[in-house]
Amino acid sequence: MLRFVARRLALLVLMLGGLIVITFVVSNIAPADPAALAAGPDATRDMIETVRHEYGLDQPLPMQFLRYVSDLLHGNLGRAIQTGDSVSDDLARYFPATLELVLLSTAFAVIVGVGFGILAAVRRNRLFDHAARIFAVSGVALPAFWAALLLQLVFGVYLGWLPTSGQLSVATAPPDPITGMVIVDALLRGQLGVAGEAFRYAILPAFVLALPSIAAILRVNRAEMIEVLNADYVTAARAHGVGTRRVIGWLALKNAMLPTLAMIGLRLGWTLGSTFLVETVFDWPGIGLYAVSSALASDFKPVMGVTLIIGITFMLSNLLIDLAYGWLDPRTRTA
Amino acid sequence: MERRDFLRMGTAAALLPTAAAQAFERVGDRRMLVFSGGQPVPVLDPHVRYDWSTRMMQQSIYDALAKYEGNPPKVVPWLATSWESSPDGMTWTFHLAGNAKFHNGDPVDAEAVRYSYERALKLNKGVAWMLKDYLDPSGVTAVDPHTVQIKLTRPYGAFLSFVPLWYIVNPKQVVANQVGDDYGQKFLTDGDAGSGPFRIKRWDSQAVMALDAIDDYWKGWPMPDADRPAGVIYRVIREPAPRKAALQRGEIDMVTEMTPDDYDQMAKMPGIVVTDDVGMTPFTIQLNTANGPTADLNFRKALAYAFDYDSMLQIENGAAKLLDSPFPSAMTGHVTIPGMPRKNLDRAREYLAKTKWPNGGIQIDYTYVAGLEVERRFGLALLESLQPLNIKVNVVAQPWPTLVGRGANPETASDAVAVYVTPVSPDPDVIAAQYSSSAHGQFWGMHQLSDPQLDKMIADARGEIDQTKRLAVYAAIQQRIVDLQPCIFGVMEDRKWGMRSYVKGFEYCPVRLTGEADLYAVYVAKT
Repeated sequence: MLRFVARRLALLVLMLGGLIVITFVVSNIAPADPAALAAGPDATRDMIETVRHEYGLDQPLPMQFLRYVSDLLHGNLGRAIQTGDSVSDDLARYFPATLELVLLSTAFAVIVGVGFGILAAVRRNRLFDHAARIFAVSGVALPAFWAALLLQLVFGVYLGWLPTSGQLSVATAPPDPITGMVIVDALLRGQLGVAGEAFRYAILPAFVLALPSIAAILRVNRAEMIEVLNADYVTAARAHGVGTRRVIGWLALKNAMLPTLAMIGLRLGWTLGSTFLVETVFDWPGIGLYAVSSALASDFKPVMGVTLIIGITFMLSNLLIDLAYGWLDPRTRTA
Repeated sequence: MERRDFLRMGTAAALLPTAAAQAFERVGDRRMLVFSGGQPVPVLDPHVRYDWSTRMMQQSIYDALAKYEGNPPKVVPWLATSWESSPDGMTWTFHLAGNAKFHNGDPVDAEAVRYSYERALKLNKGVAWMLKDYLDPSGVTAVDPHTVQIKLTRPYGAFLSFVPLWYIVNPKQVVANQVGDDYGQKFLTDGDAGSGPFRIKRWDSQAVMALDAIDDYWKGWPMPDADRPAGVIYRVIREPAPRKAALQRGEIDMVTEMTPDDYDQMAKMPGIVVTDDVGMTPFTIQLNTANGPTADLNFRKALAYAFDYDSMLQIENGAAKLLDSPFPSAMTGHVTIPGMPRKNLDRAREYLAKTKWPNGGIQIDYTYVAGLEVERRFGLALLESLQPLNIKVNVVAQPWPTLVGRGANPETASDAVAVYVTPVSPDPDVIAAQYSSSAHGQFWGMHQLSDPQLDKMIADARGEIDQTKRLAVYAAIQQRIVDLQPCIFGVMEDRKWGMRSYVKGFEYCPVRLTGEADLYAVYVAKT
C-alpha cells in the first residue's frame, strides 16, 4: 500500500509540473499585451513600459518562468495587475465565496440526485422514472449560462421569489468574517436574518452549478439501486419479511452508495471548475469571477493561480478516490 | 436558544419571500441611491487608472481644481475658485477655495495640489499621458497655501481641458500609508484620501461599493436639504438581463450599459425613465491604411461610399446620430465636413475601378469585440453593403485584448476593425491625435495612418495659444482626415441611463465616459 501511495504522489507532482508549464505557456502565447491593457487605453509607450517593468514582464520568457516557479515554491503566486494585490491575497479573499457555493451546490446535488435516484429505481419505468431520466439528460445537456438566465427570468423577474445576483442585498452589511463564507459566518455570529438572506441569494447559483452533478449522481444512483434491488440477497431479505423501507433505505442504498460516493467525489472537482460561468452570470464574488475578470484584462497571474487551485483540488480528489479504491480493492494497487 | 429553535428560525428566514420591490435604501431619514453597471472598480487610485466606473467613483470621492459640467461641457471652478494664464500660455496660476477640506479634516491647500500633480507625473500611469510631455514634476509650485502655479515646458492648448481629470489627494494620508517607494499605491487601491462629496463606507471592488455622503461637504449640496442623500451604492451586475430585472424590481434606482433593445423595453415600463442624449463616442470602422487592400486610398473610398449608413441607425433603433466629421458634435471646434461619404454605389464603383480590383472578387476581414452584438450587426451591414461591389467580408469576433494586441502591428491588424473611442476631454486635440502617427500601437490607432502633413497640422494646433487660430487649424484637420479616409465614419450612439422616476438631479455631460454619471447631483426625491 505504501508503494502505491508513493507512486500516486509522484504522479501527482508530475501532473502538477505539467499543469504549471501548460498554464504558463498558454497564458504567454496569447497575442494580448497585459502591460498595455493595464496601463490604460491612452497610455503612451513609456507608460506601458513602466507597467511592464514593474511586473517583470520585460524579462525574457524563460526568466519569467523560472521566477514564477521559484516564487511558487515560496508560496508566492505573483501580483495581479488589475488589483495590484498579491494573487494569494486575492485568492484568500475570493475562495471562501466559491467554496460556499460549491459546498451548497454539492449538498443540493446529493440530496436531489440520491433522492431522485432512489425514487426512480423504486418506480422503474413509471412516470417518475421517465421524468427523472429526462431531467438527468437535460441537466447535462443544458448550457449553464442558459439555465442561469432562464431561472433568473422565472424566479427573479416573473415570480419575484429569489434574487438574481450577488451574495447579499446592498443594504445588508456582511457579517464580520470568520471563515469568509457569508452563510457560515452569519450563523456563527448568530445573525440568522443575514444567513437566511445569504442562503436565498445562493439558491439559484448553487442550483445551476449543481445541475450536471444532480444528473450524474441521479443516473449512477438509479443504476446501482436497480442492480442491488434485483440482487438475490435483497430478494431473500424481502422473503424473510424485511419491510420495504428497510430494504431500500438500509440494504439497497447502503450498497449502492459506494459508486455514488465516488461520483460525488469526482463531481467536486468538476463543480469547482464550473464556477467560472455561474459566478459570472450571478455576479458571485468567488475565484471563478476573479479569473474571468482577470482573463478579460489579460492579467494572467490570477488566471494561473485559479487554474492551479482548481487543478490541485481536482488532482487531490482523484488521488483520494484512487487511494480509497486501492484500500478497498487491493487488485487496483498494481494497475 | 435550543438547537431546534435555532434551526427553525434559520429555515423561516431562508424561506421568506424576497422583499417586495423596495423603492430605495434608507439610512435614518435619508435615502441611498443605488446605481448599477457591469464594470467593477479594481483600482480606485486617481493617478493610476481610469475608465467610466472608476472615474465615477473617483469623482465622488475626490475633487479636482476644476470640474466638467453641462452640455456642451464646460470647465467650471471647483477646488480652484479662479485661475489665469500668462500671455505665452505657459504659466497657469490657480487660486484655491479657502474652505475645502479632506475627509479627515485636513485642509486642501496648495501643497496638496503640488504633491498630487507630482505624484501623478512620477507614477507615470493613468492620467499622466495628458500632461507629461508638457509638465515636469518640478513645474508645480505652492506659492502660498491658497495659490498654486503650474509652469508648462511648452505651450499646450489643451492644458485646461485636462485639469478636471487630475484629482487631489491628501499627501499626509498617502505618505503615512506608503509601502516602500510605492507612493501609496497599495493604500489608494481601495483607500480614501479625498475631499469629495462622498467617503468610502464599504468597498468590495468586484461587487458592491457603498459611499456615505459628507454632511458638511465644503462645496455644499446642489439639491434641497431634505433630499440630500445618505450616500450612494455602486453595485456591479455584469449581465444586462439581471441588471434590468433589478431595476424593474426596485432593487436598483439607476442603471447603465444596457443594449438598445433593453432601453427601448425599459422606457415602456411604468415607473422607469430612460434618458436620451447625443453621445460623444464616435463609432468608426478603422481601415488598415498600411497593409492589405485597404492600404489603397481608392479602395477605402469605395468602401466608404458603398456602406449603408442608414442601417447603422436601424441597428441602434434610431438612438444614434451619423458622424458628420471625425470629431463628435459636442467637441470644441467641431465642423460639419461637406461631402462626408454617404451611400452612393456609382461613386463607390468609380473609386473601385481605380484599384487593382476593379470588379471586386476580393475578401476583407472585419473584426469586432466578441460579445458586442451591435458591433457584430455593423459587420453584417458592411457585409451586405459590399456585396454589390463583389467584395466579401469575413466577420470575425475577437476578445478585446487579442484585437488590440493584433491591431498594434500593421501586419497582423485586421483590414477593418470596429472601434468606439470616447474622448476624455472635449478639447479637439484628443480626437485629432488619434489620427497622428503617434497613435500607432494604440487601439484607436489601428488604422495605422501616417501622413506627415496631418502630423504637422496636429502639432501646430497643439502649440497654438490663440483659440481662434487654433480652431481654424482643427477645421482643416477634420477635412484632411476625411480626405484620407482612414475609417468608415459611423455613428455617435446616444447615451442613455435608465432610472426610477423618483431619481432626480441627473445632469448629462457628454465628456463623462460612457456610463459615468456625476453622483454628486443625483438623489432620490422624497416628494
